Amino acid sequence: MKRTLGWISAAGMELILLALCVVLALTAPGFSKPENLLDILRNVSMQGIIAFGMTMVIISGEIDLSVGSAVAFSACFTAWSLRALLALGWSSAVAAPLVMALAVVIGFGVGSFTGLMRTRFQVPSFITTLALMTGLSGAAFLITDGRPIVIEPQWFGFLGAGYLGGVLPFPAVLFLLMFGVFHFVMNYTRFGRSVYAIGGNAEAARLSGIPVNRIRILTLGITSALAALSGILAASQGGAGGPTAGKQWEMDVIAAVIIGGTSLSGGSGRIWGTLIGVVFLGVILNGLTLLNVNEYWQLTVRGALILTAVLINRLHRPAA
Amino acid sequence: MTVWKLETEALRKEYPGTVALDDVSIQWEAGKVHALLGKNGAGKSTLVKILAGAITPTSGRILLDGAEVRIANPAEAFAQGIVTVHQELSLVPELSVAENILLGRLPMRKKLGVSVVDWPAAFEQARAVLDEMEVSLDVRRPTRSFGVADQQIIEIAKAMSFRPRVLALDEPTSALAHHETQHLFRLIRQLTARGVTVIYISHRLQELKHIADTITVLRDGRLAGRVEMADATPDTIARLLFGEVMRNNRPDDLKCEETAVFEVRHIGLKDHLFDVNFTLRRGEILGIAGMLGSGRTELLKALFGAEPFDEGEVRVGDETITAPTPARMKALGLAFTPEDRKSEALVQPLSIRQNLCMAAMERIAPTGLISRSREKPFVDEQVAGLQILISSAERPVASLSGGNQQKVVVGNWLNNQPRIVLFDEPTRGIDVQAKQQIFKIMWDLSRQGVSAIFVSSELEELLEVCHRILVLKRGRIGGEVDPAACDFNRLFALCLED
Repeated sequence: MKRTLGWISAAGMELILLALCVVLALTAPGFSKPENLLDILRNVSMQGIIAFGMTMVIISGEIDLSVGSAVAFSACFTAWSLRALLALGWSSAVAAPLVMALAVVIGFGVGSFTGLMRTRFQVPSFITTLALMTGLSGAAFLITDGRPIVIEPQWFGFLGAGYLGGVLPFPAVLFLLMFGVFHFVMNYTRFGRSVYAIGGNAEAARLSGIPVNRIRILTLGITSALAALSGILAASQGGAGGPTAGKQWEMDVIAAVIIGGTSLSGGSGRIWGTLIGVVFLGVILNGLTLLNVNEYWQLTVRGALILTAVLINRLHRPAA
Repeated sequence: MTVWKLETEALRKEYPGTVALDDVSIQWEAGKVHALLGKNGAGKSTLVKILAGAITPTSGRILLDGAEVRIANPAEAFAQGIVTVHQELSLVPELSVAENILLGRLPMRKKLGVSVVDWPAAFEQARAVLDEMEVSLDVRRPTRSFGVADQQIIEIAKAMSFRPRVLALDEPTSALAHHETQHLFRLIRQLTARGVTVIYISHRLQELKHIADTITVLRDGRLAGRVEMADATPDTIARLLFGEVMRNNRPDDLKCEETAVFEVRHIGLKDHLFDVNFTLRRGEILGIAGMLGSGRTELLKALFGAEPFDEGEVRVGDETITAPTPARMKALGLAFTPEDRKSEALVQPLSIRQNLCMAAMERIAPTGLISRSREKPFVDEQVAGLQILISSAERPVASLSGGNQQKVVVGNWLNNQPRIVLFDEPTRGIDVQAKQQIFKIMWDLSRQGVSAIFVSSELEELLEVCHRILVLKRGRIGGEVDPAACDFNRLFALCLED
């Protein structure tokens, strides 16, 4: 009995999500159709991929506010350099992979920069990524001159909009794959354990000989790289790279992580929780749309639901 | 009949499970400096907090000028003229000196029907307080622009603005340099000349003979005794502080080999350590004795690279190190259990298992992959070997008692099979039985050829545990002692000597 209760309180957010789904299945037309459910996964996948990195960053006691702008920058960079290379007569089969790899590497570099500022100069990641949020967005506008750049090769659209076997949305598959990778890394590797230790007590971690600086740089770098990957998917899905891609995603991503039970003060959190948080946000959006709630109401209701969910979750769980 | 300035009568304070203060009756004369001494946990701060109104006693009375007073909260203490300056300064750094001195009591005036701060009057009042203390500081400047010594003076000025009849100072010199301490002492003497009764808490026993008139000692929550400063010798103070010291339990098979495993050469750290030299032998437990502020903790941190030394070198085996880092020293077989378990050694949100597998992560997971089954033998070994009392290793480490937490800290390092362990105050805040277990661990390690450097403020522990003791004074090695040929009072006197 006690064990069952413990399980229920540990599974607080999962139950809230389940309850929400049941309500929507009964009220929202078409909610429970398989294609709709897969569509939800597809819609959350791009933010979701970033959210796994963000979970890691927040567990380590840092934050990254620049991921939304990093998405825009990556989308624009990809579209712009792809167009440039194709104009030089490169084949798209060579140019596209190269450009994508480059975008991800640049993303990693940007995040590492935040990490270096943090470890070398003690600049809080909040500040550096706040600056990058503006800076990267500006860079995206500069590259594109404010207008989306169309991506020529048709096959490129598969990454963001294609279906594996005609059924499974490719980005959703990538999202679930990333879940597996990050779940494994955070639970079964030295790296993951070090992230928890640093977030829980950086000084104790340092005195235990854990390479605190290297791990801080890596977590921030990986998260920015994920944002870049997400930007490529966004460009692919829209068939163009524009500077407004990923606008304010950082807020949705952080919200998903928090809903998933990760503590903003660092040291605790789960990748599984973030998966639930991401899907929760997607389900709300999808459900409200199906219920024909107008957009302004959607925003308001969404805000209220996020707060309610977190509150229920908190009250449910005994204070640590 | 003498009327004492301040009296406590049979004060008692109980907390669930412990008695912090028991039957404490003390009389303090007016116009004198009364030192209040005791080891950590002896009840000093409980007593001061009662006088300050921060906590209320379970039973007993407080008398001021022969009349009983009730002090239920800090405001009532102020009203009675009892003011306390706590160890942690309570100044607001961004505010001006005047605002800090008059915090919450700034003079106001009406302007256009609105009550506003009367700044000229505020600066005037603050200046008057400082003038009276014969101190000149710019009362308009923000407090943060002053050094610690001046801030301490501002804090006392703030206390003085309440016109205290009794002033309690908790460790006022802990952050001060020598000449700053002298200035503070002059200030205190001015106060006593005006009839203020000063209660003075300090761990720096050396400075008492320059400032105190009487010494009152608490031990285990009870009054151990009091003496006039003029009659106090290190011997009497030691007896009052520590009671009858017994050296027991020391096993007779403690030996160490001649082989040097760790050589410290001309180590220096700006303002803290000066030309420290010693050699640690295989299996040796080397004690470091010294008063608070002698550089004990700094020495261990410097050697382990936590706050690395900036002069000199250490040799471990064939390696010579001039710029140590914790990771480097760990790789060379060193381990370090810090003084403050909570803030420096344990990761509170993590489980006992995870805390036991931090330092040895490379050993436990050489491929980078970690799992419970891989960790289990390491966790089990330490839990059994160190007799850590747990219901499950998955419980948060914060759920353990102090003694068991300390064992987790030690076990975390033992998992890495160190050759040299640096123990900084490993027995702080743990019960007698747990202390003996920690000692036993150190002796067992010694028998296996593991060396240790053991810093403790409890001299009797050093005498009980160590092969050899170095006395640290103001950052220098001031002597070496063979515990077998030394007793407590002699070691205590050695630490005190200038």
